[in-house]
Amino acid sequence: MKVEVHIWDWPLRLFHWLLVVAVVGAYATGKLGGNLTDWHARFGSLILGLLVFRLIWGFIGTTHARFANFFPTFSRLVEYVKGEWQGVGHNPAGAIAIIALLAALSFLAVTGLFANDDIAFEGPLFHSIDKELSDKLSGWHIYAVNILLGLVAVHVSAIVLYQRLKKTNLVGAMLTGKKQLPKSLAPSPIKPVGPFRFVITLLIAVTVVWSVWSGGFVNYLAPLASFQRATAHPKT
Amino acid sequence: MKLKLIVALALGAVTTAAVAGDVEDQIRFRQSAYSFLGWNTAKIKAQAADHPETFNKDQVIAAANAVAAVANSGLLSLYGPGTDKGTGWKPTRLKPEFFEKQDEVKEIEATFIKEANELQKVAANGDAAEVKAQFGKVGATCKSCHDLIRVRE
Repeated sequence: MKVEVHIWDWPLRLFHWLLVVAVVGAYATGKLGGNLTDWHARFGSLILGLLVFRLIWGFIGTTHARFANFFPTFSRLVEYVKGEWQGVGHNPAGAIAIIALLAALSFLAVTGLFANDDIAFEGPLFHSIDKELSDKLSGWHIYAVNILLGLVAVHVSAIVLYQRLKKTNLVGAMLTGKKQLPKSLAPSPIKPVGPFRFVITLLIAVTVVWSVWSGGFVNYLAPLASFQRATAHPKT
Repeated sequence: MKLKLIVALALGAVTTAAVAGDVEDQIRFRQSAYSFLGWNTAKIKAQAADHPETFNKDQVIAAANAVAAVANSGLLSLYGPGTDKGTGWKPTRLKPEFFEKQDEVKEIEATFIKEANELQKVAANGDAAEVKAQFGKVGATCKSCHDLIRVRE
């Protein structure tokens, strides 16, 4: 006997699918370059905002969105390996993949802010650090893309395997927010999310992205950086 | 006859040296070329893309002429054997694979020249949006070469 239970709140689902769009967009525009580099920066900013949103939502969102409720602790992993784990949100193995994905994307979003391409792109925080450090971060940014691709491949193949072997439709659950679960688990559906928490979280995410681009503390550093450039002997 | 041959050979050797120079010279010349290129592309980027309100037709034409001049200067002659290692103004980031990827490299150079020449033409019209669009195509050729034969930091 299976019942349909509401598991994923709508801000979480919106986050997930916007992230898919932003990551695909950032990857494609990053590969193509040229004037699309402007769009790479826009997709990157969207990713940054989404990550800030997700981080906060992981503390104040609904039950299964909270890190505390799916963080792959040692005891949960042992249970999972023994086949004794029972839960309805992310399972411990999935949780490792999700945290790794979020970490890789955070690394990419932050290094991108300081990056340059030695052609026509400088990230919004480029001028707050040395060119040499920016070059290093730009190199790491590109290496990290391969790690991200690996994690995405694991994530997508796990979803395909669940579909094929366990007949579990994880994509559908992430679209509708509902999972088919045995009645024996008897999970209580999540409480509907109030608009106040969502608005606050969204505001913080937008503020972070906006302050990165509008200057913020970089404005205080800019005169210093241009003074250094004007007085320093060109290195190349 | 023999003398003529010796003179010709000697002249040939002198000319080659003067054109390409030793390894360190080649590395410094090409690094300087890209540095100069960067100064000019930065002006075009600033005036045509980032702050179109500052667009100055004469400055953009001058910059586009300089970009085309660098593109047409025969940069590949500064990539002689052994120039994947050297201190230059700063250590070169040329990958050793450069020497095995000559076909691709030459194709990229041809595209770079074509797009830079087109940028020069477009700049003469004085339309910021057109310059921006063509500038993107030049930038894409820079990237294709960086991706192929430049060591990532």
